[in-house]
Amino acid sequence: MDAAVIEVLLVEDSPGDVRLTREAFKDAKMHINLHVASDGAEAMAFLGREGEHANAPRPDLILLDLNLPKKDGREVLAELKESSVLKSIPVVILTTSASETDIQGSYQHHANCYITKPVDLEGFLKVVKSIDSFWLSVVKLPRKTRS
Amino acid sequence: MTTKSLLSRKVQLAVGSATLTLLVVGAISYRGMVMSSESDRLVRHTHEVLEKLQDSLSALQSIESSSRGFVLTDSDEYLDLFHAGILRVQQDQTFLRKLTVDNPVQQRQFPVLDRLVNQKIEFGEQIIGLRRTMGLEAAADAIRAGRGQRIVSEFQGVVRGMQDEELRLLVLRDADAKRRLGQTKTVLILGTALGLLIAAVAGWSVQSDSIKRGLAEEALRDQEEKYRRLLDGVQDYAIFTLDPHGMVASWNAGAERIKGYRADEIIGQNFSRFYLQNDIDRGKPEAELQIAAASGRSEVEHWRVRKDGSRFWANVVLTAVRDSSGSLLGFSEISRDISERKETEAKYRGLLEAAPDAMVVVNQRGEIVLLNVQAEKQFGYHRDELLGQKVKNIIPEGFAERLIADGTRTAAEALAQQIGTGIELCGRRKDRSDFPIEIMLSPLESAEGILVTAAIRDISGRKAAEKHLAEMVWELKRSNDELEQFAYVASHDLQEPLRMVASYTQLLAKRYKGRLDSDADEFIAYAVDGSNRMQGLIQDLLAYSRAGAAGKALHEISSENALKEALTNLRATIQESGAVVTRDMLPAITTDDTQLAQLFQNLVGNAIKYRSAEVPRVHVSATKNGGKEWIFSVRDNGIGIDPQYFERIFILFQRLHGRKDFKGTGIGLAICKKILERLGGRIWVESQPEKGSTFYFALPESGK
Repeated sequence: MDAAVIEVLLVEDSPGDVRLTREAFKDAKMHINLHVASDGAEAMAFLGREGEHANAPRPDLILLDLNLPKKDGREVLAELKESSVLKSIPVVILTTSASETDIQGSYQHHANCYITKPVDLEGFLKVVKSIDSFWLSVVKLPRKTRS
Repeated sequence: MTTKSLLSRKVQLAVGSATLTLLVVGAISYRGMVMSSESDRLVRHTHEVLEKLQDSLSALQSIESSSRGFVLTDSDEYLDLFHAGILRVQQDQTFLRKLTVDNPVQQRQFPVLDRLVNQKIEFGEQIIGLRRTMGLEAAADAIRAGRGQRIVSEFQGVVRGMQDEELRLLVLRDADAKRRLGQTKTVLILGTALGLLIAAVAGWSVQSDSIKRGLAEEALRDQEEKYRRLLDGVQDYAIFTLDPHGMVASWNAGAERIKGYRADEIIGQNFSRFYLQNDIDRGKPEAELQIAAASGRSEVEHWRVRKDGSRFWANVVLTAVRDSSGSLLGFSEISRDISERKETEAKYRGLLEAAPDAMVVVNQRGEIVLLNVQAEKQFGYHRDELLGQKVKNIIPEGFAERLIADGTRTAAEALAQQIGTGIELCGRRKDRSDFPIEIMLSPLESAEGILVTAAIRDISGRKAAEKHLAEMVWELKRSNDELEQFAYVASHDLQEPLRMVASYTQLLAKRYKGRLDSDADEFIAYAVDGSNRMQGLIQDLLAYSRAGAAGKALHEISSENALKEALTNLRATIQESGAVVTRDMLPAITTDDTQLAQLFQNLVGNAIKYRSAEVPRVHVSATKNGGKEWIFSVRDNGIGIDPQYFERIFILFQRLHGRKDFKGTGIGLAICKKILERLGGRIWVESQPEKGSTFYFALPESGK
């Protein structure tokens, strides 16, 4: 197993979900470096390396909640996909909304993946594991170019 | 009358002109006679002059002869003759002078005659003297000298001249007298002839007039006879005449038929006997005559009485008859028994009054001719205020216009278009307030042409109810929408904290199971179970609130495909249970395919879920109901349902079984029911416990 580190930006305002995500990633085989932005504005600051995020790494993956304070997930998604620099970063939407309009809107903004937050822990762990294995098996990480 | 007066004028003219002619003739004749007698007098006068001249000549000759006789005889007898002759000739001369005083020619001769007479007398006395003194011879010689004879001859010559003059005058006067006589005769003849002619002309004229009058009178008699026959022939109308005092003067067969009197019974009687007693007491007959006399005509509809005392409702037209000078000759009355019409009207009126709606009968001119008490009440008018008025006064728009023919339709067509259709219009009360009405029109054939009966219903109440209902519906919809929104928001927002509870209790269980005491493990287990169930409920609630709300456009789909999709979703369940799902041919139907698939999925899912000990067998089929609906059925061989629960099973979260027997929240059938309500369909069940159930749902063939 390669000791590769995956930089993940979790955009999530719920501390419970943040912790739960952290817990889930504990069991992951990958070494995941989880960064958290609690709202859309902070997420954009992180991605743009503004202010305190000046040294922020470019994330390999963004986990984006749609319902966020200040700037919501849909706006963040739209801005990401309009940016030539950022649009290549894979985005996974994590939401409790199973509404069709949300799903369709997200795909129109080129979300790479849309995952309804499972309501039970097992489901959540499965999701995290699937992300883990997704990166392991499919994605050629751009990390080496970066270091 | 005209003929007679013309005749008398002609006669007067004839008599006048004849009289005038006679006067003229008489005057001319009288003048002729006067002139003629003057002529006669002159003629007679001439003859007298001639006689006296002759006489004076003979008297002078007598003087000659008597003087000679004395000379011869010396007898005194001749002297007497001599003196008598002198006297005679002198008298004759005097007389002649008077007679011819108007004739200067003759008067001029008298001095000559006087001289000759005097010479003769002188000569006679001379010879008489000579005889006495000188004797016979001297006297004879004097005589022989012939002087005496010469005087006589000369005298004779003058007298002859005068006689010729008188004869000339006589001829003239005679001719004049004859001419005058002739003239008078001519005038008399002409006058008489003229008189005769005038008399003849007058006579002929009168004769001719009289012939003409005779012919005219005959023609008039013919005409009158024809009219009489015609009038007699009229059976439906009583036609009779009255003298100026209201006495019956003529009577036709119709009058006999209608009123019951024979002509000989009624002629000469006062017409007031055709009236009711109280009308007579009020002086109605006289009043009507006066009206007719004053205005020329009166028309009334009123009771009349027959001979037998029975009454009938009559239409009566009374017309004054006047001669050319305008004096009243009498009246003609034409009356008709309209009891039947009256009765029909009365029946119709009764019908109108019995109607629950306001009824208004309107003629083609849009005037109200009849109305009932409900109409009075509804519009707030008294009957008399509306009769004869325009219907526009109470229905300002939309009614009168519908009765009127225009270029593209006749009155009958205009009306026909409206028959039987309820038209919602606006009515206007007397106090100018408006209220909503619905009117139904129907035609009514009548003696006055086609009338229109309008049944008018005050729909204020209905309108208010409709408005109220619409408000309620809107309110209900708002309330439902709110509820749905509430359900969605609540379930959605509840899910977040619940997920925290569930996730962390699960995490707790995962990390600390067996590391705390047994009580802690049990407590954690209940917490996990409770949060799981709550999650289930919330998710179902969300599903329910979303059911049927997608609002997809309906289009024709294959219900078979919808079933296939449902079975695909149920694949795991079917495999696990070993269920056998069969189907008939399923139709194409215009509906929402996703929701139809959901229906099949829930119903087939239930059929398998509530299975008995047997291998579950599920059959899906569809039949058409009356051509408008498809009725789908899902039949199973499961545990069945007690009929008392047929209603309850469709209610949200109502379950018939414990969680140990069957999982679930009781959402499936509630969702089915909601979907069908949204699609305009319905759902019901037929079942008996332990004998399986059949769920039916009906969907409109061509969408909602």
